[in-house]
Amino acid sequence: MTKISLENITHHYGDKKVLDKFSCSFEEAKISCLIGPSGCGKTTILRLIAGLELPTKGIIKIDKMIATENEELLLPPHKRNTGFVFQELALWPHFTVYRNIAFGLQDREGEKSSHRVNQMLDLFGMSDKAKSYPHQLSGGQKQMVAIARSLVHRPEIFLMDEPMANIDVKVKENILEHIKYLHKKYRFTMLYVTHDHREALQMGDKILVMNKGAIEASGTKEELKNTDNPFVRSFFIL
Amino acid sequence: MARYVPAGLVALLLLGPFLALFVRWLTGPDNLSLMAFINRSTLLLVGKSLLLSGTVALLASFLGTVCGFLFYRLKLTGKGFYKLALLLPLLVPPYIYAVAWRDGFQWLSGNSAVSSPEAGMIIVHTLVYFPLAMLITGTALSQIHSGLEEAGLMRVSFAGMLAKIVLPLIRPALTISFLLILIISLSDFSVPAFFGVNTFTTEIFTQFSAFYNHQLAIGQSFLLVLLCLTLLLSENRYLSDAPFFSVHVKGSKTKHYPVNKGRTFLHILLWIFLSIVLVLPVVMLFHQALSGREIFFSRAWDLLGPTIFQSAKLAFSGALLISFTGLWVGYMKERYRFPHLNTMFLLTFIIPSTVLGVAIIKFYNHPGANFIYTSITILLIAYVARFGFIAARIIGNGIKQLPGSLEEAARVIGIPPVKRFFSISIPLLLPSLFTAFVLSFVLCLGELGTTIMIYPPGTELMPVKIFTIGANAPLALTSSMTLISFGVTLFIILIFFLAAKIIFNRFRYD
Repeated sequence: MTKISLENITHHYGDKKVLDKFSCSFEEAKISCLIGPSGCGKTTILRLIAGLELPTKGIIKIDKMIATENEELLLPPHKRNTGFVFQELALWPHFTVYRNIAFGLQDREGEKSSHRVNQMLDLFGMSDKAKSYPHQLSGGQKQMVAIARSLVHRPEIFLMDEPMANIDVKVKENILEHIKYLHKKYRFTMLYVTHDHREALQMGDKILVMNKGAIEASGTKEELKNTDNPFVRSFFIL
Repeated sequence: MARYVPAGLVALLLLGPFLALFVRWLTGPDNLSLMAFINRSTLLLVGKSLLLSGTVALLASFLGTVCGFLFYRLKLTGKGFYKLALLLPLLVPPYIYAVAWRDGFQWLSGNSAVSSPEAGMIIVHTLVYFPLAMLITGTALSQIHSGLEEAGLMRVSFAGMLAKIVLPLIRPALTISFLLILIISLSDFSVPAFFGVNTFTTEIFTQFSAFYNHQLAIGQSFLLVLLCLTLLLSENRYLSDAPFFSVHVKGSKTKHYPVNKGRTFLHILLWIFLSIVLVLPVVMLFHQALSGREIFFSRAWDLLGPTIFQSAKLAFSGALLISFTGLWVGYMKERYRFPHLNTMFLLTFIIPSTVLGVAIIKFYNHPGANFIYTSITILLIAYVARFGFIAARIIGNGIKQLPGSLEEAARVIGIPPVKRFFSISIPLLLPSLFTAFVLSFVLCLGELGTTIMIYPPGTELMPVKIFTIGANAPLALTSSMTLISFGVTLFIILIFFLAAKIIFNRFRYD
């Protein structure tokens, strides 16, 4: 499985600096949760790892291979073997559930693709919704399709950007349990971005607390519960 | 580099004529008297054109905003029908309305000359362009979050909330609709020409085509362009990023107000308005066509028949080219942060029709460019220059509304750019592309100001034919030709909508 490291990353949006000499690594086959207030740079880190953004400066390594160096994209997004669940899910509204999951897979897998897609639909309990369009699904079902769409490609890195933002508590609990089960099954390296400390505590093998483009503290949930850092304490309402 | 080469080529084809005209004017034989045309009568004409078009823009924006509120924000029975019906004037070339209302005025005054052609021009332009204001303000009204209005209603009355919350929030849309209509009205040749109103656009045409006073015509052209440019620059920040109308409005969080009191009265008012906008022009045309001593329909058909297919073919090619250009310009601006093409089309858009005609004649009328000058290519270039901006804004707005993550999600799983474009972007942009195409088709079909100056030999087009025949023929003949042209336009639009229904059903997802 894959280890990810970011070295001295500086990144700007226009004139605004969002990351300044940021360094960090994410352990392979573990769930790392990035938590912090809005605008602290969490989403930017995911997008940099996926190759959807290029840093102003710095190096991103995936599995010891340099994927991005400064503003040069050495490894394009689709060669990083990454699954990405976007905050707004980004389900293609004109494709059925089946086609949303199968899109892109058919080219590579040929006839085997339908087996893989059906397997995913079964795994997520969505077989009866295969012919539905995204707007015909509930919030939780859309979530499931977005996750299935990312996992059907068997990624080694799984990136989730605040995917539970608009989901009610009960459905959220179910989905989070499901993700943990999938992680156990597939052992991908997972980065989970959230601003909800309960989600982070429930999911993360390691939790990284971010503030203003830097890591304020990191560790397991037990380690963070015992921290003296006032920002972390206020964030976790300890 | 890949983006600069095609952009440079387009700039040469579209902006080149205008820049060359400017240089020619500066270095021409009469360059000592460059400013000679700026005299009292010219300034009076500028004032008159501005006053007429300003009145049109004001009235059309007001009507459009009222209709926008009624159809986009009220729970009104049949609002879909009203909206669609009131959009029709936008889909009918303005000269058809001009002939209809001129007939109406003459009918009222016992077939003598129209006593107030200026009023006729204002009425026709207002009725033709108010749907544009309705679409733009309606889109803006649909994007106001209900919370903002509800918070206002906690403090002030409904009317107070509209005045203090809603109107300030849609101010950019009001500004863009006012400016757009002002510029389109200033630039239009057909309506003032049919009414015989002397505006700046018709004056340039007269100086150039009737008196062959090219230097004066060119000088006046620059004054008119300068005028439009000043209007544009003064509100540039609104025009460059202001909301344009959207085909799909995400208005799920918008509050829709019920109509309790006065519902019947409102419906009666709307039917009267619909009759004035749609039924009355057709009645007036029929009355004038049938009022003469002989029935002219057969002669009108003989005259117009050969032009129909040619006009439709040219408008279709023009609309296709404009839609492709709009897609390209919109994509470059919204996805590749390359706004220069959009700015260039904005510049060619504000060049009035007759000025563009003069520039194109001067630029392409030489042996090296004869293959363009003597073929319909010259008309296609003119159409792209005139209407490319509108298509780019409609499609660009559609692109802006597509979350970037839809394409990124495909990029992460390795879908190649071309497949991403055709599988994800194009199907989702179909409504915007279709709207841009139909609007461009109608604009090309009814374009007169530039067409009448540059149409190549052997080409016969509907508006040109009606205009030239109308100068010396009985009114009943012109009206009959206009009715046929109206019928043909509606028939083609109907075909487009039927075709669109079939295509959209294939991509249907909501």
